[in-house]
Amino acid sequence: MESSEKVVAVIMVGGPTKGTRFRPLSFNTPKPLFPLAGQPMVHHPISACKRIPNLAQIFLIGFYEEREFALYVSSLSNELRLPVRYLKEDKPHGSAGGIYYFRDIILEDSPSYIFLLNCDVCCNFPLRDMLEAHKRYGGMGTILVNKVSAESANQFGALVADPVTNELLHYTEKPETFVSDLINCGVYVFTSEIFDYIQDVSIQREGRANLRRVSSFEALQSATRNLPTDFVRLDQDILTPLAGKKRLYTYETMEFWEQIKTPGMSLKCSALYLAQFQLTSPHLLASGNGTKSATIIGDVYIHPSAKVHPTAKIGPNVSISGNVRVAAGVRLISCIILDDVEIMENAVVINSIIGWKSSVGKWSRVQANGDYNDKLGITILGEAVIVEDEVVVTNSIVLPNKTLNLSVLEEIIL
Amino acid sequence: MILHQIEALKAIGVEEVVLAINYQPEVMLNFLKEFEKKLGIKITCSQETEPLGTAGPLALARDKLVDDSGEPFFVLNSDVISEYPLKQMIEFHKSHGGEASIMVTKVDEPSKYGVVVMEESTGKVEKFVEKPKLFVGNKINAGIYLLNPSVLNRIELRPTSIEKEVFPSIAAEQKLYAMVLPGFWMDIGQPKDYITGLRLYLNSLRKNSSSMLAVGSHIVGNVLVDETAKIGEGCLIGPDVAIGPGCVVESGVRLSRCTVMRGVRIKKHACISSSIIGWHSTVGQWARVENMTILGEDVHVGDEIYSNGGVVLPHKEIKSSILKPEIVM
Repeated sequence: MESSEKVVAVIMVGGPTKGTRFRPLSFNTPKPLFPLAGQPMVHHPISACKRIPNLAQIFLIGFYEEREFALYVSSLSNELRLPVRYLKEDKPHGSAGGIYYFRDIILEDSPSYIFLLNCDVCCNFPLRDMLEAHKRYGGMGTILVNKVSAESANQFGALVADPVTNELLHYTEKPETFVSDLINCGVYVFTSEIFDYIQDVSIQREGRANLRRVSSFEALQSATRNLPTDFVRLDQDILTPLAGKKRLYTYETMEFWEQIKTPGMSLKCSALYLAQFQLTSPHLLASGNGTKSATIIGDVYIHPSAKVHPTAKIGPNVSISGNVRVAAGVRLISCIILDDVEIMENAVVINSIIGWKSSVGKWSRVQANGDYNDKLGITILGEAVIVEDEVVVTNSIVLPNKTLNLSVLEEIIL
Repeated sequence: MILHQIEALKAIGVEEVVLAINYQPEVMLNFLKEFEKKLGIKITCSQETEPLGTAGPLALARDKLVDDSGEPFFVLNSDVISEYPLKQMIEFHKSHGGEASIMVTKVDEPSKYGVVVMEESTGKVEKFVEKPKLFVGNKINAGIYLLNPSVLNRIELRPTSIEKEVFPSIAAEQKLYAMVLPGFWMDIGQPKDYITGLRLYLNSLRKNSSSMLAVGSHIVGNVLVDETAKIGEGCLIGPDVAIGPGCVVESGVRLSRCTVMRGVRIKKHACISSSIIGWHSTVGQWARVENMTILGEDVHVGDEIYSNGGVVLPHKEIKSSILKPEIVM
C-alpha cells in the first residue's frame, strides 16, 4: 500500500429522535454510548477502525447535542492518539446526506478511502480485509454483506451480488417480497467519488423542487419528492440506482452480525463482543475461582472500579460497569449491570439489564427467559429502579425511578 | 402432623394408637416406629386394600378397637390441625352419657361446609346440613371424635361415610353430642391450608411452649428447627418455618412460611417462601422456590432454577424453571 493513501472513518450515530425502540435505556444516555461488553456501543466499530492502516481521522456524525459526546470523544482521542471529532448535524440528513453536509471537513486531509459505518450494528468489522477487497475490485464503493435466513431478509436491505466478481447487481431496501438472503450490514468503504454521486442526487432533487412539475414518474415516487433536497439516503438514493453499473461491490462476512435495535438485542450483542474479546482483548475479560475474587464462568467483563464479593458467582455473558457493588452470595448470569448499581446479598440476576443507580435487594431475583426476539424476553430495569428484598421480577420492563415491593411477572411497569 | 395428635393422645393416657392407612404404609410405619419408643406408646397399623371411606376403616380395625373394658375410643382425622383438648372431651362425653361425641368448630363461612345443628346448652346434635344456603348455624365437624364401642355395630365393612351416614343415624336417636373446640382449627388437606395451619400451630406454640421455638439473630418470628438439623452462616429464617430432622440448610439461605421435611438439603443462597419441601429433596444453589410450590419426596431442584407454584410429584428432577403454577408429573 502506498503510504500516501490516507483513510478516514465516519460513524453514523443518529440522534435522540432515533433509537426510541431502545427505551427505557435511551432516556438519559445516547444509545451509541450504551455499554456492550463494558464498552460504549460506538467503541466497538471505533476499535476496529483503529486497526486500519493509515487511518488519519475518525468522525462521528449525528444530531445529538455536542455536549453528550464531548467527554467521550476527547478521552477517546487521547486513548487512541488519533483525532476523533463529533460533527453535529442541525437536523437529520440521511446517511449519505450527513457525510455530504460535512464533505469539506471529511475531505480536509484528502483521504483516498472513506469508511462509513452505522453505529447500531454488531459485528467483527473486518475493515482491513474489506479495504483490500475494495482495492482489488476497483469500484467506487464496497458494501459489507451477510447471509441471513430467508424469513428475516425483508427487514434489511436485500441485495444480489455477482457470485464471481462480487459486483452489486441489485439492491432493495426492506423488500415486501423475497429478493435475496444476502443483506447490507451497514458498513461501507468508498472512494471520494461518492460525494459526486450524492451531489448529483441532491442537485436533481433541487431541480425537481424548483420546477414544481409533477411527472407521472414522480407521482409514483411521491415519498422521494417530499424529502428535503439535502436529505439523501444511502440505500434508496445511491445503492439502488448504482447497482449493476460496475461501481459497487460486496464483501461477504462469515462472522457474526446483528442489528442493535432493542435493549434485548444489546444483551445478545454484548455476549458476541465478549466472545470477540477472547481474540482481540483477552485482558478485558475477568477471571477468578472464588478464593480471592469471585468465581467467573465464561466471558465476563468487570469494570476496575466495581466491587464484587469473592463469594459471588458471575457469568457467562455478564458485563459490570463502573462503581457497581455486588454483595456476598450474588449470582449473575447473562446480564448487563450499568453504572452505580447495587446488587445485595444472595440476589440473582438472569437474562436482564439493570439500569444505572438501581438496586436489587437481598434474596431478590430479576430474571427473564432470554428470548431476544420476544418483547419481554429480557427483563429491563430503567434508571434508579429499586427492587426490594425477596421480590421476583420476571420477563418485565420497569421504567425509571420505580420501586418494586411486590413480585411482577410479564408486566411493563410505567 | 400426625405426631402432634399422637403426642396429645399420649398426654391424656392413651396407650395404643391405630393408624388407618391406605398410602405407603411402610414409609409411615418406619417413621412412626421410632416415636413409638420415644413416646412410649404402641402404634399399629390397619391397612385398607380398597378405599373404605371415613367409617369403613373403623370396621376394619374393629378387633383392635374393642376390648372388654367397654371404654370409648378417640377417632382423629389426620389432615386436621388444632389444639387437642382431649381431656375436656372425655369429661364432656361422660357427662352427657350419649353414644358419641364430636368436636365442632366455628367457621366464618358455614355455607362451604357440612353444618352441625345442635342444642346450644347441652350440645345435643339435632341434624347435619350439607353446604346450607340459608344460615342454620356456624359450627362444623372438626374431625375429632370420641366414640363408644357400640358405634362399631352401626358400621359395616364397606365404603361408608361417618359424617353422612353414621353420625346422622346416631343423632336421630339423640345420642350424638357436640363440644365446641376452643382455640384454632384448620383442615390442612390442601397444601395452602397446610402452610396456614403451620402458622397457627407455631403461634400456639409461642403461647404455650415457646421454649421449643428457635431463637437467634438469623431467626424472624416463629420458627421450629429440629435439633438434628444444621443451619449455615448468613441465613435468614422465618417467620413460620418448620425444619425437620437431619436437614442441612447451607449458608446464605432465606426461608419463610415453609415446611422443610426430614432429610432435605437446601443449598447455598437459595430462597424459599410459602412452599413445602418434601422428604429427602434438595434445592439447588440460588434456586428460588415460592408461591405454594410443593415438592414431593426425593425431588431435586437444579441450581438457579425458579419455581413459581410448581407442584412436583415424588422422585423428579427439575432442570428448567417453572414460571407459572403447574403440576410436574
